Amino acid sequence: MTEPTPAAPRTEQGPHRVVVVDDHAMFRTGVKAEIGRSVAVVGEAADAETAIKVVLATRPDVVLLDVHLPGGGGIEVLRKVHELNPDQKFLALSVSDAAEDVIGVIRGGARGYVTKSINGVELIDAIRRVAEGDAVFSPRLAGFVLDAFSGAIDLAAVDEDLDRLSAREREVLRLIARGYAYKEVARELFISIKTVETHVSSVLRKLQLSNRHQLTRWATDRRLV
Amino acid sequence: MTATESDRPALPPAPRELHRGLDLGADPDVAAATGLAPAHPTVPDAASEPASPRATRISEGAVLGGVCTGLARHLGWPLMVVRIGFVGLALAQFAGVIAYGALWLLLPPETGERAPGLESAGRAGMRDVSRPRRRADWGMLTALVALGTGLLWIVQTSGLGLRPQIFWPVALACAGAALVWRQADTSQQKQWRAEAGGRAWLVPFVARGGWPAMVRVIVGLGLVGTAFGIVIAQQDQIAQLREVMAMATLALAGLAVVLAPYLYRSRTALNEARSAKVRADARADMAAHLHDSVLQTLALIQRQAEDPKAVQQLARRQERELRGWLYGEELVETTLKVALTAAAAEVEDERGVPVELVMVGDTDMSDASKALVRAAREAMVNAAKHSGADKIDVYAEITDDLVEVFVRDRGAGFDPSSVAEDRMGVAGSIMDRMTRHGGTATVRSQPGEGTEVRLEITR
Repeated sequence: MTEPTPAAPRTEQGPHRVVVVDDHAMFRTGVKAEIGRSVAVVGEAADAETAIKVVLATRPDVVLLDVHLPGGGGIEVLRKVHELNPDQKFLALSVSDAAEDVIGVIRGGARGYVTKSINGVELIDAIRRVAEGDAVFSPRLAGFVLDAFSGAIDLAAVDEDLDRLSAREREVLRLIARGYAYKEVARELFISIKTVETHVSSVLRKLQLSNRHQLTRWATDRRLV
Repeated sequence: MTATESDRPALPPAPRELHRGLDLGADPDVAAATGLAPAHPTVPDAASEPASPRATRISEGAVLGGVCTGLARHLGWPLMVVRIGFVGLALAQFAGVIAYGALWLLLPPETGERAPGLESAGRAGMRDVSRPRRRADWGMLTALVALGTGLLWIVQTSGLGLRPQIFWPVALACAGAALVWRQADTSQQKQWRAEAGGRAWLVPFVARGGWPAMVRVIVGLGLVGTAFGIVIAQQDQIAQLREVMAMATLALAGLAVVLAPYLYRSRTALNEARSAKVRADARADMAAHLHDSVLQTLALIQRQAEDPKAVQQLARRQERELRGWLYGEELVETTLKVALTAAAAEVEDERGVPVELVMVGDTDMSDASKALVRAAREAMVNAAKHSGADKIDVYAEITDDLVEVFVRDRGAGFDPSSVAEDRMGVAGSIMDRMTRHGGTATVRSQPGEGTEVRLEITR
C-alpha cells in the first residue's frame, strides 16, 4: 500500500506476532516449529469460529489462514474479522491451488497467498512482508492474476483504473510468475524493491476492488473449457 | 518412463499402485483401457467424456429456464444477442417460444462436477460455496420488454401477425404455461417430489413452495383457463363446430405441453439416479486406489527414513499425484498445458527436482508447439542435471500470436562466453530445434546467478 502503515516500527520492538489457523494439528505444529524462532506464535485455531475469536482477542500482526477450514472456510474468517477490525492482515495458505479458492481468498481480503509446501525461510519472509503492509504473490497466484486480467475484455465494462493492469504491473507479475523474487524483479527492471512492492500492492488492490465480472466468473468458467 | 526407472538407484521400485497411477499420466490409452477415472491432471478423460461439451441449462443468472445463458456459453455468443434472438423469433408466429420450450425440455441442467477434494470441502463447509448474487439489470430488462411489446404491437397492427381473436388466447396460454413451467424447474423440485409421494405432476399443486409459488400456479392456471374461455366465447355458434373441435384439440395439446416437463423429468430423475450410482461406485474405486498409493508411499518413506533425498522425492511425487486428483482441473483435450504439465512431471520424477509450472492461457498442440515442449523438457532436464538448484520454475504464456516458455533455475549458472562443450551441445540442440520451427531460444546465465532459458515461437 502506498500509505504508511503503523505496524512498520514493530520490527524494532521484537518478532512479529502470528496466529496460525489450520484444521490439521500436525500442520500447525510443523509450522510453529519452522517459524517459531523468528516470529512469536501467539495463538492458534482449528476452525473458523475459534479463529475469529482468537484473532480478535490477540490482534496479531499476521494471521496464517488456511483456505479450507471447518465452519465456512478461510473466507468466513476474513469476512467476520474485517467487520470488526478492518486492518487485520492475513496471509492465506492452501494445499489446493485451485484458482477459485486462491482468487476467492484474495478477493476476500487476504494480503497474500502461498502454497503449503513453502519452506520455513520463505514463509518467514512472506510473513514479514505482509506484516509490513506489502502483498505476497506466489508464482502461481501471479499466473492466475495474469490469466484473469488477460483475454477478451468486455470493453463496455472496463473501468480504466481497476480493470486493467498497467504495462509495468504486467511486467512485474510476469517476472514473479517466472519464479523471480522481489529482489530479482527489481534488479531485472532497474527499479527499487520498494517500487516492486508498490506495483504488487496495486495489483492486489485491483484484484480486490475490480468489479470486472469476468474476474469472479473467470475461475468457475475456466473449469468448463 | 520405465526406461528411466533404472537411472534411479537411490529409489526402490515404486509400489505397483503408485506406479500405475503415474504411468496413466503419461499414457492416455492406458487410462481409457483400464477405465479408471483420472488419477492425474494430465490424463485426457477421453473414455467418459464426449469430445465436444454438451450445451446445458444454467440456472445461475437465468431469467426463465437458463436456456439462453446456457446457449450463449455453449456457442460463445453474448447473452443479450441470444435473448434478443429468442424474443425476435417469438414474434414470428411464436417460433421462439416453441423453440425455447423445446430446449428447456431437452437441455440437461448444468451439473457442477468438481474435483472430489473441492466438493468434499464444500460439503463440509470448509470453503465458501455461495454464488455471487445476480445483479438485476432492470434498465436493460425494461428496455427489452418495452421494445418487445412495441415490436409485437407493430406486427399485430400491421396485419402481419395473428388475428386478435387468436393472438390473445395464445398469448395468455403461453404466459400461463410459462408460469407453471417455471414452477417445475426449481432446485427444490426433488424435495417437493418426495412430499408429493412420487407423483411428479402433483408437485406444483401440493408441495409447499410458499405463497409466491401458490400464486404463480394459480395465476398460471388462471391464464390458461382464460385463454380457453376467450376461445369458447368467440366460438359460440354451432356452425363453427369444427373450429371449436380444432380449438379443443389445441387445448389438449397445450395441456400435454404443460404436463410434458413432469413426465420427462421423472424419467430423467430415474436415469440420473442410475448414473449417480455408477459415479459413486467409480469414486469408491478411486478412493480405494488412492488409499493404496498413499499408504504404500508412507510405508516406503518409513523404510527409506535414512535417505532424505529419496524421502523427499517420494513425498513430492505422492503429493503431486494426490493434489492433481483432488484439486486438479480436468484437462480433457490434448493441449499445450497437458503436454507441458506431463513434461514437467516426468522431469520431476526422473531427476527428483521439483518443477513449478505456471501457465497463462492455453492452445491446441501443433508441430511447432510439440517442438517447443520437447525443447522446454530438455531445458528442464538440463537445469535439473547441471544447476544443482533445488527447484525449477517454468512459466509459459500464450498470447494471441506468441507462445513463450521460460525455464529458470537459481543454481550454479555458467559464463555463456566460455561454455563447456556438453552444455553448449544441449543448448545448441535446444536452439536448433526451435529455429527449425521458426522459433528462437535464448540462454541467459551468469556464474552463481542461475540460468534462464527463454523459448519463443509464433502461433
